[in-house]
Amino acid sequence: MSDNAISGLAMWIAALVLLSGALLQPAGASVNPPASSAPPSPIAVPNPATDLWRAVRQREMQIDSKTQARGVETGVLIASSGEEFRQFRMNDFVGVAGWFIVGAAALILLFYLLRGRIPIDGGRSGKVIKRFEDFDRIVHWLTAVLFIFLAVTGLTLLFGRFVILPVFGAEAFGVIASAAKEGHNLFGPLFLIAVSLLFIRFVVRNMPSPGDLKWLLTGGGIIGKGHVSAGYFNAGEKIWFWLAIVLGLVVSVSGLILDFPILGLEREAMQLALIVHGIAAIFFIAGSFGHIYIGTVGSEGSFDGMASGYVDTNWAKTHHDRWYDEVKDEAISADSSVVKQPISDRMQTTADKA
Amino acid sequence: MSVSEFIDGPFWYFSLTVFVLGVLWRLFGMLTVGSRTDYSVPRSSATAAAIRTNLTRFLPNADFWSRVKLPVIAGYLFHLGLFALLFFAAPHIEFYREYITGFGWPALPEWAFILVSEIAFLGLLLLVLYRMMNPVTRRISSRGDYIGSVLIFVVMLTGCLALARSHETLRVVHFFTAELLLIYFPFSSLMHTFTWPFSRGFTGAHYGRRGVGV
Repeated sequence: MSDNAISGLAMWIAALVLLSGALLQPAGASVNPPASSAPPSPIAVPNPATDLWRAVRQREMQIDSKTQARGVETGVLIASSGEEFRQFRMNDFVGVAGWFIVGAAALILLFYLLRGRIPIDGGRSGKVIKRFEDFDRIVHWLTAVLFIFLAVTGLTLLFGRFVILPVFGAEAFGVIASAAKEGHNLFGPLFLIAVSLLFIRFVVRNMPSPGDLKWLLTGGGIIGKGHVSAGYFNAGEKIWFWLAIVLGLVVSVSGLILDFPILGLEREAMQLALIVHGIAAIFFIAGSFGHIYIGTVGSEGSFDGMASGYVDTNWAKTHHDRWYDEVKDEAISADSSVVKQPISDRMQTTADKA
Repeated sequence: MSVSEFIDGPFWYFSLTVFVLGVLWRLFGMLTVGSRTDYSVPRSSATAAAIRTNLTRFLPNADFWSRVKLPVIAGYLFHLGLFALLFFAAPHIEFYREYITGFGWPALPEWAFILVSEIAFLGLLLLVLYRMMNPVTRRISSRGDYIGSVLIFVVMLTGCLALARSHETLRVVHFFTAELLLIYFPFSSLMHTFTWPFSRGFTGAHYGRRGVGV
């Protein structure tokens, strides 16, 4: 028998002896202590359970526990490291993550207030060029829809205790948190499929090319005057693509580890996966603010590409002049039925049209 | 009567009645509308062509494959996934046994239940996005098509959110959205669930009688 086992056994015996001694004492002895004696100091009286619980929690020694239950760490009665991890997550990680997200949103807002919307040089020309194929946009929006759903449910799980619980109460928060967890777990694996499709579909167009360095050194035109020459995608878009792929893979793989605790990973591996998942997700969400901003309100005409697949020729000339030079002969009228279909028309029923 | 009692009781019977009567009425109307008698001599069997078309239309014509592979693959993912979910998910079988059939049947294991949910969701998302992004499907889609897709998605989503079965509220929300879908179903293009064999058969018979290869 090992020293640890002997030590553990000795403590169990000591605890049992103390416990039986207490039980054998007359009932009145413990209920009515002598009136004359002063109350003992809690520190002066050694608590026999202290050593026992220290052993059970395995803080100072690793006990080779045996149990009928088969599985990872089933011999651990109380996982002290779990509590330490919980404290770290609640007290350190959540706060920093929260301020990071708020800070990123504030920076985007500040940039918008200072710079305003970037207009198309010369305004809209009335002619458009095909920029994205239908499948490009399907893959993009599949990823976007899943990302938004996972971000909302993930943020609910991370910050809900601090934001939702005080407002809606424990009962409602319980329902919301349960729904968020189930939805997050179910849609997570689909995100890996979406990111993989995104990679396959866009990787060739996002390879580094001459001119990317100059684009980066001038901050995409923020430093200095005028726009910087760019091809199909500029360096900023390429960086976002590679970030999305890497972060997407990290959150997906770490998420799958968390989805399947039955795979046999130990507690510390799961804790690491949770923290990696959280950090990657927070960076991903903060980065997406910039992507969403520049693709919508930040830059006139940018959203058209992912909405209809076509962009204005002047937009292409302004932001992607080298690509524009390659495809300018393919420009068609912006009023073409292939390009545009008003929302009102789109939502009109076939019967209405008849 | 509480909201959940209402949804579990009167509203359930109302939605089921609307669904059953509505579907029967639509089918009755379609099958009895009739068509003009064709006095021409048939060049081949209309019945055989109807049956053949029903079977051959499970796969697209090879000439169109490159253009339709996404909706075909996504369509199968969604429909097969939904079928498995609807009829072989343990909570649904439990529901049918308690409310409709009085008996149950073997259910999918939990992992398969989750897997078919993922497959069905992926298929549905791809189909809706294809409808919105492809210029042709976008133009021929009606408001009803979008409402049907959104309703199906919401029913599946509320079902997946209630997977833990730990909160009665989530089950009631799922049940309520499913009842809304039942009410909307007979009056929408979702009727293709029942009409597709008749539709294929009619097309096959129409052309088969004239000797057109289908």
